Formats: sequence, structure tokens, C-alpha cells
Amino acid sequence: MANHSQLTLQDAASPIMEELVQFHDHAMMVALAICSLVLYLLTLVLSEKLSSSTVDAQAIELVWTILPAAVLIALALPSLRILYLMDEVNEPDLTLKAIGHQWYWSYEYTDFKDLTFDSYMTPTTDLPLGHFRLLEVDHRVIVPTESTVRVIVTADDVLHSWAVPSLGVKTDAIPGRLNQTSFLANRVGVFYGQCSEICGANHSFMPIVVESVPLANFESWSSLTSS
Amino acid sequence: MAGEGDSEPGKSFKLLGFLDVKNVPCARDSVLYGSLGSLVMGLGHFLATSRVRRSCDVAVGGYICIMLGYWFYCRYNLAQQRIRQRMLKEGMKNRVLFEGSYLDPEKEQTGSERSDS
Repeated sequence: MANHSQLTLQDAASPIMEELVQFHDHAMMVALAICSLVLYLLTLVLSEKLSSSTVDAQAIELVWTILPAAVLIALALPSLRILYLMDEVNEPDLTLKAIGHQWYWSYEYTDFKDLTFDSYMTPTTDLPLGHFRLLEVDHRVIVPTESTVRVIVTADDVLHSWAVPSLGVKTDAIPGRLNQTSFLANRVGVFYGQCSEICGANHSFMPIVVESVPLANFESWSSLTSS
Repeated sequence: MAGEGDSEPGKSFKLLGFLDVKNVPCARDSVLYGSLGSLVMGLGHFLATSRVRRSCDVAVGGYICIMLGYWFYCRYNLAQQRIRQRMLKEGMKNRVLFEGSYLDPEKEQTGSERSDS
């Protein structure tokens, strides 16, 4: 989850999110270069007299056409690569349905056994010491590590959005429609997210918690919960 | 305590308020090489031509070119290293899984050597 004053992206927990973080770093470096240039030009302009006898400037016009095009290409190529990477469908090991309600999520694991549960936010008054306010839930989504998980997201009433920043996932939950996304948690851990589409009074109070565990632990959890 | 370990906020240093040079790989080196290169180029141009304005232009241009040039070079090497790390990790995992079994490639090689001799 994010620290109290964190503005940057959270630590990546999936390969796609790692790629996105790297692209973000790349874009910031390009932005730094452009800002440096603009600041320098601004300094030059502000220190000059307000008069000019320039009638044409072929060279500079060529430069300020080609340079922005080059910058856009330098940004577009990695961006498109990641865009297509995100749309790849690798055969998922597990399918999970996430259904948005006002104001909680319900999850269904129906691959092997019928396992369904609701996930409500833990109220602040009931929060154990050291747990995160407005982020903890009573029942977490448990997924196995290093396994592709397909999530089918929908809603029961109004628009919601299932988002987990660490995993690089955000999918709208639309009533009457099934949206599909997938992720692969490449390390064990607990990953927090929040509903990302305004859905009423308690929109801020329906978090998502995904816990990635080793496969053996996932299997034992699944058999314990189903029975 | 539940949650993932993020870096402490006090440990970041952001240039122009958005580029964290401490935590982003290759960023610090790019900025430092860019600055050094810009100083050398600007000073060198000034010493050669005694033109202040043009030397400043050369310095800023050099800063941007060297910074971005080193950035692309460093990130390319980093990407290659990451791919190699991933292949190594996968190879180690497969070795642990398949060692001694019929899927072990080393066992197949030993078997073929024996049959050749």
C-alpha cells in the first residue's frame, strides 16, 4: 500500500506493473530533459530585449518539428509495447469473479469447488492494532503466487471498479457486463486497492485486498474454506 | 503487520519535484554524466570561441544529449540484465524440479554419452 505522503507508484507485484513502473521512469526522464530545455529557453527570453528583426527561421522551425516528433516516438514505442503486453491472454490457472455491490465486493471461485464469499471493509472501531484504516477487509482474496489469475469483474447495482495498483489492475465493474482482466503475482504479499468508480455514499469504504500465497497454502485454504 | 515494504519517504530526492534520482535505476548516473558533460562542453566551447551565449547553448544541449544518451544506454543494459536474471531464475527452478527425473537434460546428455561410448 502507499505511505502517507507517497506520490509515486507503489512497488510492483506483477510483471506488467514492473513494466509500467519502468515506463514511468523513462517518461519522467524525458520530461526532465524537456523541462530543463524549456527553463533554459525561458531564461534566455526573459533576459532579452523585447524586439526582434527575424523575418524567417527555417532551421529552428525544422528543429522544433523534428525534435518533438522524435520525443513522441521515444515515448510511443515502449508505451505501445506495454499496451499490447497488457492485452495478452496467457492461459490462466485460476478464474475469479469479482462482483461489486453497494458497498462491498463479493468473490466467487468456481473452478474446482463452489466458493463464494463477501468482502466488507473492517470498520475503524474494530481494526486491530497495526492494521490499515479503510483498507482492511474481513475476507481477503487469496491467490497463488506465480500463477496467472483471470478476474471477471461485474457489478450488481451501479458502476464500480476493481483496482489493485501493485498488480497493475483496474477494471470497471458494469452491471449486465462481464469485463475480464488477468494478473500474475510474482511474489507473496498483501496488496491493497480501493473501488475506483464513484458508486454512492460509501464508495471510499469498499476496499480490495489480494493476498498472494504459495500454491500449497492456497490449496489448503481453498479446501478448508470450501468444507 | 500486514502490507508490503515501501521505501521510506525521507530517502527520495526528486529533481524538479518529480524525478526521484535516488530510487530510479540509472537516473542518478544520467544526471551526473549529463552535468559533467555539459560543463566540459560548455567550458571547452567558451575557451575555444570566447562566446558566452553560444557556449551556454552548447552546455545545455550537451547536458540534454548526454543525459538522454546515457539513460537509453543504461536502461538497455538494465533490461538485458533483467532478462538474464529471469532466465537464470527459471533455469534454477527447473533444475531443482527436474533433477534426477527423466526430464533432467543433464541426465539425457550423460545417457547419450554412455550410448556413444
